[in-house]
Amino acid sequence: MRRESEVRIRCLGVLTAVMAVASLAPLPVAGQATPPAPDTWTPTRTPWGDPDLSGIWDFRTLTPLERPSELSGKEVLSDEDAAEYERETLRALDKDRRTSDGLTAEQDVRNAYNQFWWDYGTKLTEDKRTSLIVDPPDGRVPPLTPEAQKRADARTEALQRPAHGPEDRTVWERCILGLNTGPPMNPSVYNNNVHLFQIPGTVVILTEMAHDARIVLMDGRPHLPEDIRQWRGDSRGHWEGDTLVVDTTNFTGKTSFRGSGTEMHLVERFTRVGAETLLYEYTIDDPKSFERTWSAVIPMRRTEEPMFEYACHEGNYGMFNLLEGARVQERLAEESARTKSK
Amino acid sequence: MSGVTWMRTKLTFVVAGLVVVSARPAPAHHAFSAEFDADRPIHLEGTVKKMEWINPHAWVHIEVAKPDGTAETWMIEGGTPNTLLRRGFTKKSLLPGTKIVVDGYQAKDGSLKGNGRDLTFPDGSKLFMGSSGTGAPNDGRDPTEQKKPKR
Repeated sequence: MRRESEVRIRCLGVLTAVMAVASLAPLPVAGQATPPAPDTWTPTRTPWGDPDLSGIWDFRTLTPLERPSELSGKEVLSDEDAAEYERETLRALDKDRRTSDGLTAEQDVRNAYNQFWWDYGTKLTEDKRTSLIVDPPDGRVPPLTPEAQKRADARTEALQRPAHGPEDRTVWERCILGLNTGPPMNPSVYNNNVHLFQIPGTVVILTEMAHDARIVLMDGRPHLPEDIRQWRGDSRGHWEGDTLVVDTTNFTGKTSFRGSGTEMHLVERFTRVGAETLLYEYTIDDPKSFERTWSAVIPMRRTEEPMFEYACHEGNYGMFNLLEGARVQERLAEESARTKSK
Repeated sequence: MSGVTWMRTKLTFVVAGLVVVSARPAPAHHAFSAEFDADRPIHLEGTVKKMEWINPHAWVHIEVAKPDGTAETWMIEGGTPNTLLRRGFTKKSLLPGTKIVVDGYQAKDGSLKGNGRDLTFPDGSKLFMGSSGTGAPNDGRDPTEQKKPKR
């Protein structure tokens, strides 16, 4: 188990590299032929002097959280290979392909609906990374501990059989949290937007899905007592230079990010590196769940588009239908068993 | 093997992997495979009665004429309306009376609900199309993308 400080040094290395791209310094990686346009932005501050991170930020990207095993050892793609990767990925993800294009009916049902409903972006991150995870260096989530693996297996089992009740389904299907809101936030298939608000002593992180506000107190008070657990954990923030650091603990264990548990200690860092770019970095320290700490870096782009309400419970007929379907499956299984026993 | 050819071979392999990934449960807000029956494909030609622009999934109610002259009302599930709102579609974008065609799958409980796996107009064109070229959602980064419809 590495200490967080060691991980921070590694992360800072990558973070510095990403920031270097944003500030036009040449990236010391082969294949980065075209540097981005010069950014003449000068850091702005709130009226009370804090770095100004406020606004709506878009975190769509085709870059996967984990590096595909076929790209093992290749942290960054050349511009040409990145373009090819984007084209091929969009083709593979295209939801307008149907059974007539070779999909099975099962795959077709899972694809849900036409392409026009989806919004996962069309580009890799600007620095053309092959994974959002920057530590460990292989770009993969570290192996789970036996305890965490057991929890993950139980969740998989519950999702694969007819659900006994809503508790067997994911928190996003239950409209408790959005599928990309974490914490930590991660790009998903749509509604990848977050609105940051700042007032003196408080930062509010409002994610579009499921219209979810995380209130980050910046006044130095300690975390809640250990026995108070919250769906989004308990967040406290402070500034390190121009970086907003948000420290979150007190998770319920009813949520799990890639296998995390109640003892996850999440540290998120928000650094504005240009007029249009906010770097979002997070480190997960949960020795009861992962064999080591791990970190990801996600560049967010400023957007002028509004966020829309995501009142998830309003029309969650899907949960009703899903449970109805489960009861039908049970009835059919019982009837089949009875017929066989006769 | 040139670098590019090697990469293409590699990428084809990776993309084949992505197809598998996309076939995993719950890529969307909820698992459609738990709600709809792959053994009950439906093809419906009907008229829009009302559109529910609600989250987490929009629902289109359509009236479908039966061979015996009577009609039945189906509820068809779509995706999050936010994506479409962001592209400029509004409540007026699919008005009652519009004729549409639904290819999808019926709910597992056998009720008159289906997923709008493929929503088209009778002439075959897609509802709510907002982009061209790759078919990927309109995110303003692709110069070939069509202009937004007027609000």
